[in-house]
Amino acid sequence: MSTNAVPVATEQYNYGIVKKFAIMAMIWGVLGMLAGVYIASELAWPFLNFNIAEITFGRLRPVHTTLVIFGFGGSALFATSYYIVQRTCQARLWGGSILPEFTFWGWQLSIGLGVLFYMAGYTQGREYAEFIWPVDLLITVTWVAYFAIFAMTLVKRSQPHIYVANWFFMAFILATALLHIFNNLQVPVAWNSLESYALFSGVQDAMTQWWYGHNAVGFFLTAAFLGMMYYFVPKQAGRPIYSYRLSIVHFWALSFLYMWVGAHHLHWTALPDWVSTLAATFSILLLLPSWGGMINGIMTLSGAWEKLRTDPIMLFLITALAFYGMSTFEGPMMSLKSVNALSHYTDWTVGHVHSGALGWVAMISIGSFYHLIPRLWGTTLYSTKLVFVHFWLATIGVVLYIVAMWVAGIGQGLMLRAFDQYGNLAYTFIETVSFMHIPYVVRAIGGAFFLSGMLVMGYNIRKTIAGARQPAAAEGRDAVAAAAR
Amino acid sequence: MSQPENKQGQVETTGHVWDGDLREYNNPLPRWWLWAFYITIIFSVIYWILYPAWPYGDTYTKGISTVEYTVEGENGEEKTVTEHWNTRALFTKNMQSSPSALAQQEWVNKVKDMSFEEIEQDPDTLQFAMSVGHGTFGDYCAACHGAGGQGKIGLFPNLADNAWLYGNSYETIVSKIAGGINGMMPAQNVAEDKIDDLAKYVLSLSGNAEISGEAASRGKQAFASCAGCHGQNGKGNEAMGAPNLTDAIWDVADVPGCKGDTACQMEEIKHVVNNGIQRQMPGFGDRLTDTQIRMLAIYVRQLGGN
Repeated sequence: MSTNAVPVATEQYNYGIVKKFAIMAMIWGVLGMLAGVYIASELAWPFLNFNIAEITFGRLRPVHTTLVIFGFGGSALFATSYYIVQRTCQARLWGGSILPEFTFWGWQLSIGLGVLFYMAGYTQGREYAEFIWPVDLLITVTWVAYFAIFAMTLVKRSQPHIYVANWFFMAFILATALLHIFNNLQVPVAWNSLESYALFSGVQDAMTQWWYGHNAVGFFLTAAFLGMMYYFVPKQAGRPIYSYRLSIVHFWALSFLYMWVGAHHLHWTALPDWVSTLAATFSILLLLPSWGGMINGIMTLSGAWEKLRTDPIMLFLITALAFYGMSTFEGPMMSLKSVNALSHYTDWTVGHVHSGALGWVAMISIGSFYHLIPRLWGTTLYSTKLVFVHFWLATIGVVLYIVAMWVAGIGQGLMLRAFDQYGNLAYTFIETVSFMHIPYVVRAIGGAFFLSGMLVMGYNIRKTIAGARQPAAAEGRDAVAAAAR
Repeated sequence: MSQPENKQGQVETTGHVWDGDLREYNNPLPRWWLWAFYITIIFSVIYWILYPAWPYGDTYTKGISTVEYTVEGENGEEKTVTEHWNTRALFTKNMQSSPSALAQQEWVNKVKDMSFEEIEQDPDTLQFAMSVGHGTFGDYCAACHGAGGQGKIGLFPNLADNAWLYGNSYETIVSKIAGGINGMMPAQNVAEDKIDDLAKYVLSLSGNAEISGEAASRGKQAFASCAGCHGQNGKGNEAMGAPNLTDAIWDVADVPGCKGDTACQMEEIKHVVNNGIQRQMPGFGDRLTDTQIRMLAIYVRQLGGN
């Protein structure tokens, strides 16, 4: 660690808001993954639907995706971006105490209301944008406040340069605003109705939805978490970022290319063929820019590999980058029309999403949180051993999940296109479904592994925070500043 | 400010420092990364040259790749059409000339002019019929009748036993698949003091219960209004789909589910008598080809053990 740290007082930064978002990220994470394990089990053992409408797969599925993406991922991004922008700008969060609080309550209320409405049967029916229109409005207002806070904090920075992590956060905030607004252009049935119709229709509507859907992956789940990566990896490694030049090139390439690829979700549909081609080729072009982030992260550790043996936080961060590299390779391959003909509408897609969501998004967040939380509370982690335990539970969980979905997806894809000697389809649809039972069971077990890791983390973090509050551990507030480096 | 030494000893940091110790080396872009990026660009350009890609004005670049398929000309002659690569033409082409399409066409032509009996007797064509039937039944029929045709008592007839509500002639099976079925028994208005005897009498027809003396004659008397469809002896009538009540095969009243409990069996019968039956099967004539329906008829008849 460098010794020329700028001395800071806790009061210099708004840590209260970071703590709140961090805790809510943990709570939504556990709830969302619990919902995930439950719906995975419903697919393996359908009796678990119990004929109760509120907990059937169709209603709990958006509950799961909303809680993990926006509840867990979103809150983690709020927490880390507020932390990083303050520390790298050496400026307190703009907006006084009211505006950041507003983004907290606005966001949490949106998530909470959204999932309750799904369970009651109210949804827009747009994947990852199921929020009904009143909630969409609340999100819009919250997001504008978030943008203002982030941008103004950058403006009043006391550092000459804007750190790379903040570029990614800024791109994420801007792109998400754009996506959220255009994909939620809805006409309410009546001013006092929760129902609404999409402004667009047909293939235009489908394209808008998947332009949104894939850029939610691109900017929400990739760019923003790269921002997280660009701060916590060099911090935890105590080493400089590998290449400034690479970060510029891959940032702009990523931002430019991602916007084009959404239509690869609509291959072999009513989508015009030329749109399909552009989506496929831009997905291929996106491969190396995506890998730029992985290279920059992993190479930052170059020369200090031995840390992987002793530092489980580093293990989380680097494994996350490895999964990121794998799934950003898999994605462009799946976007080729011929591969997509096999993979589309199968669980291969679901497996691909989870290698990104569990392997990359969750693991980078978990690693970052293990670094962040002791520093927020000015203490040390309760147990490093439990972080190792968590790491292995999470890794086994992800691997079980992905492998099960490869088997289920590729298996089903091959069965659906198999012909017998008479030129007839060899399998009926229902036969492909019963084939997937065992992979579905394995997937549910994989999810349970990952969830149990999160529970271990929850316990570890509770103990860490509780320890910080005990007078014995609080050897003056000076420790906060020292640890917060 | 001090700059940490890079391992390679040649690259410096940019000189910027954030948050105490965050720095950046200024390593050049990895060469393999740059070349791989160039390769994806070349790949994309080739893809754009081959396939429809870039929009301009109100059209788009068509690409140099083509798809050929045949259409019937005005005088019935075959004409070859060549289009730029597009998914619709590709689909038409695959349905015309892919190996599986050709194989299927060969068998479809073979069975076209064969009678049901001829198809059944030739092991090869029978196998083909079973292959078509397996897929068609699984995708269109199994949702109600079950994967093995076992049906669901009270709702969907069992096709795997050898009892046929409408008989098992191929003509009948084909017309039912194509046109659908309205399975209907009107609710009966049987007096309170007679319905128990009627139920017991119906059960006695298949040996499920014993009834004698006055009760038997009261039951038989009440059965008179049923006999119009089910026949005097209760053996049913295939022309109207009225089931045989003497064969101990139950399709609507869940008599087997009562496991020998006579009171429960009587409740089942009474329920049907009082409420009648309304069952509907949609017709598949518009959704399936003639060959599919004929092969399906053979498959279904085989399910029933014929």
